[in-house]
Amino acid sequence: MTAETTAKSGRINLQSNDGITIEVDRAVAERSILIKNLIDDLGVEAVTPQTPIPITNVNDSVLRKVLEWCEKHRADQPSAEEENDSRKKTTEIDEWDMKFMQVDQEMLFEIILAANYLDIKALLDVGCKTVANMIKGKSPDEIRKTFNITNDFTPEEEEQIRRENEWAEDR
Amino acid sequence: MSNFRRAAPGGAPPPGPSILKTLQAAEMIDTKPLLPAEIIAAILDYLPVSDLMRFARASRRMREMVYDDTRWVARLRSMGCWDEVEARRRFDDAMKRRREQASRASVSTGAGPKPAMTTTLFDASVEEERRKAQQLQRQHVADLQDGFETMKITGQAPTLAHSKDPEALLAVIKSVQSVRGHARQEYGRIYGALAPFYFDLAQAKTHTDPIVFQVFRDPERQAQMLSNLQVFSHSDWSQGWRQREEKLSSMVSIFESAVLREFEQGYEFWDVDGRMKKYAGVLCILNGGAAGIDLFVQKHPLFTDRAVLANAMDCVNQAPADTVTLEPSRRFFEVLAAKVDEQAEIIERIFPEPSPVFWSFVDKVREEIIMEYITPLFDETHERSIPSYLKAVSGLFEQTLQFFRTLKAPKGAAADQEARAKELVLKVFEPHLDLYLQDELDTFTRQAEREVGDWEKKLSAQDASVESFYMANFNNRQADKRDFLTSFKKVVMMPVSVLPTSLSLPLGSPFSSSKPASSSTTAANGNSLQATPQPSRPHSPSLTAANAPDRTSSPLPGKAPNDELAAKAALMTSRLEGIKSLFSIEVALGLVHSAKASLGRVAVFIQLGGQAGGEAREQCEAIFVTLLRILGGRHVKPGFDKAVAHLSQYNPREVSQHERGVAPLVTFIELVNVGDLISQMIDVFYEQQLAGPRIADRNDFLDPAGLAKKKFEQMLDESVAAGLNKGIDVLMDEVEYLCATTQLPTDYNPSATTSDPTSEKPVPAPAPPPRLDDIGPTPTARRIRDLVESHTKMLVGSTDKSMLDVFNGEVGLRLFAAVCKHLKRQRVSTEGAIKLIADMNLYFDYVRTLKNADLLAYFKALRELSQIYLIDARSHAKEMATIIADSDRFSGVFRAEEVYEYAERRADWYQVKRDVERAMYGLECVVM
Repeated sequence: MTAETTAKSGRINLQSNDGITIEVDRAVAERSILIKNLIDDLGVEAVTPQTPIPITNVNDSVLRKVLEWCEKHRADQPSAEEENDSRKKTTEIDEWDMKFMQVDQEMLFEIILAANYLDIKALLDVGCKTVANMIKGKSPDEIRKTFNITNDFTPEEEEQIRRENEWAEDR
Repeated sequence: MSNFRRAAPGGAPPPGPSILKTLQAAEMIDTKPLLPAEIIAAILDYLPVSDLMRFARASRRMREMVYDDTRWVARLRSMGCWDEVEARRRFDDAMKRRREQASRASVSTGAGPKPAMTTTLFDASVEEERRKAQQLQRQHVADLQDGFETMKITGQAPTLAHSKDPEALLAVIKSVQSVRGHARQEYGRIYGALAPFYFDLAQAKTHTDPIVFQVFRDPERQAQMLSNLQVFSHSDWSQGWRQREEKLSSMVSIFESAVLREFEQGYEFWDVDGRMKKYAGVLCILNGGAAGIDLFVQKHPLFTDRAVLANAMDCVNQAPADTVTLEPSRRFFEVLAAKVDEQAEIIERIFPEPSPVFWSFVDKVREEIIMEYITPLFDETHERSIPSYLKAVSGLFEQTLQFFRTLKAPKGAAADQEARAKELVLKVFEPHLDLYLQDELDTFTRQAEREVGDWEKKLSAQDASVESFYMANFNNRQADKRDFLTSFKKVVMMPVSVLPTSLSLPLGSPFSSSKPASSSTTAANGNSLQATPQPSRPHSPSLTAANAPDRTSSPLPGKAPNDELAAKAALMTSRLEGIKSLFSIEVALGLVHSAKASLGRVAVFIQLGGQAGGEAREQCEAIFVTLLRILGGRHVKPGFDKAVAHLSQYNPREVSQHERGVAPLVTFIELVNVGDLISQMIDVFYEQQLAGPRIADRNDFLDPAGLAKKKFEQMLDESVAAGLNKGIDVLMDEVEYLCATTQLPTDYNPSATTSDPTSEKPVPAPAPPPRLDDIGPTPTARRIRDLVESHTKMLVGSTDKSMLDVFNGEVGLRLFAAVCKHLKRQRVSTEGAIKLIADMNLYFDYVRTLKNADLLAYFKALRELSQIYLIDARSHAKEMATIIADSDRFSGVFRAEEVYEYAERRADWYQVKRDVERAMYGLECVVM
């Protein structure tokens, strides 16, 4: 009983794919549903400093970044509105997150992937919103450049799409 | 799955031959993250529409994702423009048409497979021509995705319409169709029409800026557009939507308050068909017009109209002391109804959708006027006198319900008027309901107890010993009871009306003290009914006379049943004079009627339904239960107990007069009859008042009313049974007393007084008695028979059949025992045997009327037995012995020893004993 309570409030170790172990509060790590479920399934005793949880898809720098976010948002309540209609009316990015996301594009994508892998929905949302803001106002060509997309349209085809969606263009 | 291509390895190596650079490039490829499709989809959710479309131009995969129908269906749905049912129907229709078309196509050309593949993605409502055009196009851009070509048609329209056709812009949301595969196009139409206004409005600095107000000049269209934009804003969920929406709603509220001001000005000038109508319409288009409705209802002049506001105290002041009259309240509701109806008409003229306006207006009327009227009235009457309070609550409830029901609701509002009326009435009466229901029960309980108590007091004041036992013609009893019950039923079925206007009879009908004597014949009866039974009861002869015209007049309509019932009750009472000290049918009737009045008052609340209705129903049952408790426990049961006590104290030897049977038993049997009558009355009451209107469930065995009724009936049965037990004892005491006192020794032994019988008995056969008129049963036997018969007959039809059988069986057996015992005390001569046989025949005939086979055997044996006295023993000793020993003859009722004992009662026994014994025991050879 006491062992569990100390473990509950205790710290656990996470190991990135480049072999570096990071020690964090369990509550922080459990912002990740993946880690939370894992601890719930294995039991706290299984997670010792000798056997850190391996996070195979995430490298050290990204993991630290993600954990930084988790630390900041450790007390957040999972908002109910996201549950019922995820497409609708998501909240705006708050200031801290905005700053947090001011990283190079590569890192941004890494964070999004890590958030996806670790199942941290709020972080994933923030990442997607940031990407959406990046795309906003860009021409198709700029979009391709940003995301490294190969254009497989002929110019006529591209023009066709533009014309049929003329209604959506900013005036 | 990712659509983000990394830098192509081929393109990455720079022209320079640095191996390091190549390595770096390779490493970049490894670390360059891939975004999976669902993440891209999530990103797209946050993109504004314009960026989405640019995104679609990046590559084929991107386009596919952007064009995904569900994305657009979601937007349509968020605006409430997507009808899944409609979409499915269209899809099914399309599939059917496609199939037909495909089969046709495959027959005619070889182009079969292609259209078949595309059909699933296209939807139906496109006309034939359009489809042909599409097919042509499809051949040009065969590998393009579907849902593509039609865009030219739908996509261009809005942009064209933008400035040219404002009407089309206004209607754009309404014209949306739910077509699968076309959601993007449909959304495109809306977006094309509304987005320019929307984004323009979101950026506007002041309320004069937005082009909405420039394109559309008249308020109706502005309102329509704003309302459209509000709907459209639901589908905007890209970054910054909150600011845009706030902006929109602030614009809307500025617009709304401007319109409201216009409406208010129109209101002040009472410009019903002009400005009021116009701006009410605008408000309605804008957002349903709630603000206008509020304004209209709040500022309505009706609520300050002094003419409507009546003084509730009129109801109290105009009535005699301690009562209440509902006439002023009726007038109040009439005036109010007229006013409200008038307003309903105006509302209909002003508002495009009058129904909600009307009901919120009526609700306000309820709160401001009706509640204000009712509450002080209730408080006042409650303080003054409870009965008038009860009457006021129930009466006003009915009036109020009537008021709400009869309001002339504007068209479209009438459908749910009943439900609305109930809801409103409930709101009016909710604060009073609990108190009222409690008071109603309390009052009834008190009144019932007082009534019984009064009666008891009266009784104890009288000398109980002067009871005169009145034996009317009992033969007619059942007919009388039936008669009485039918009258009772008629009265019970008459509605209790608390509205003095709807019925000419006052509250509580025949039993209320305010009843005017409607006819001289029945006045006397009526009076005797209201008061407790004893005083001033007319003589029974005059009543029977009064009853006669009553019966003939019973088919007459109107108030006849009441008076008839009153008369019959009085008649009944007079017949049952004997039991007036025990309990009174009039008291019972009175109780039942006050219960009925209470029930009738409470029952009107049941129609409310829901919790309040349920409470009212429970209260109804509680009243019924109380009625039974008081009637049974306080009135009937003590009566029975007293009667049983009388019975057990009865001693025939102490009573001087025996002409009329056993007095206490007669009383008791009368009591059983009345008890039965009351029980039937309760039953009728239950059926009519509780089971009929579904207050109580007849089939629910846990229902308190049903349980109480059963308990009451059980109590009655038990009392009857206990009494009958005693009654049999008493009856037999009386029988024995009669035997002992009236049977003359000469009855069965006539020759005892004359000369020596032995010399005069030469007759071999049954000797004819000397005098013919002597034949037949003795008076004693007759009296016994009459006594028993009259008592058993009295019970017929008043108690349970099985109980009656048991009673009769017991009476028969005891009678048999008594007769046997009596016989053993007699001395019977051969001549007397004739009389004895006649007696026994008399008993036998009587017992036969009881229709009890077992009993009959006993009396048959007795009859047989009596024949042994007839035998001339001296010459036929042997035969006599045979008879004595022949137990079959008595079908096992008497053993030989017993018969022998009876034979000893022969007057000449000692002369014949030897002969007989010899014959019996086979001592044929005599030692003389």
